[in-house]
Amino acid sequence: MIFQIILVAFALFAVTRTVKQFRAQKVSLHWFLLWNGLWAVVIGVTLWPTSADFVAHLVGIGRGADLALYVTAVALSYSVFRLFVRQEETQREITKLVRKMAIADAEEPK
Amino acid sequence: MKIIAIIPAFNEESRIAAAVRDASSFVDGVVVVDDCSRDNTANAARMAGALVLRHAINRGQGAALQTATEFALRRLGAEIVVHFDADGQMQGSDIPAMVEPIRSGAADVVLGSRFLGKAVDMPASRRIVNRLAQWFTVAISGIRLTDTHCGFRALSRRAAQEMTITLDRMAHASQIQDLVVVKKLRYVERPVTIVYSAETLAKSESSMRAFGIVKDILKDKFFTRV
Repeated sequence: MIFQIILVAFALFAVTRTVKQFRAQKVSLHWFLLWNGLWAVVIGVTLWPTSADFVAHLVGIGRGADLALYVTAVALSYSVFRLFVRQEETQREITKLVRKMAIADAEEPK
Repeated sequence: MKIIAIIPAFNEESRIAAAVRDASSFVDGVVVVDDCSRDNTANAARMAGALVLRHAINRGQGAALQTATEFALRRLGAEIVVHFDADGQMQGSDIPAMVEPIRSGAADVVLGSRFLGKAVDMPASRRIVNRLAQWFTVAISGIRLTDTHCGFRALSRRAAQEMTITLDRMAHASQIQDLVVVKKLRYVERPVTIVYSAETLAKSESSMRAFGIVKDILKDKFFTRV
């Protein structure tokens, strides 16, 4: 019960943030609907946990909560991987820049 | 043929001058890349007669080698590039034998080997780690060498142009071997003498760093697009 209250409260907090940003014209209507839709689903599933079971059954998983967990694990792994690649690329860009500066600043060979 | 020795240096104020002078007698020019040292490495190298480039941020030995290579090829018109160390472990007198296979056209890449030559006072732990590295290299690159992490190398202009080192830190040594295979360059090993001293051993990174190298290589093989 406590868990449900916290999650719903957090979702509502996220929704109010988005509404504020939408009013300040910082986000588009498209984003506003998408983002709030997502949180609406979160609230729905939190209050009626069995509702997610239907979707879980469709893909051959027993419980909706398990499905949410699996999807989260995959999504997180993927984003860590993306960050990893990005980080490596950034490092290489820095090296290229440092190299360029070093060569540009080199004294003229006699 | 115009031979340029390239020396990556990081906090080598006390030893760089001797290394530059030692190499100078056997080459047409020495390029030192000061990898953002906190001491007076750049000046010491300049006084000894080297052309000095400076990295504004420390980027590692592999990165420094690549910087020096690009400079030597583009600005100095190097026909042979020799990788040399700043800390005095290598002997300049080995350079003529190292570049000979390139001069004669027998090879594009000459790799120094401590085990064909002499490794003076090399600690046993180093020998063991090197043996493991040798197996790792065979598995990863399919190239069998007697010494996989000796920094003493000579490259023809063509080889230097074709091999771009992107692994900035210590894993560049493995990457170079990898590129030799990938770019189908002709290579030979030549014996060199490496003298270990307490001072250089204290400064150089511990054998545990080998794990970092393996990590960098695997990361490069599986996770990087560029």
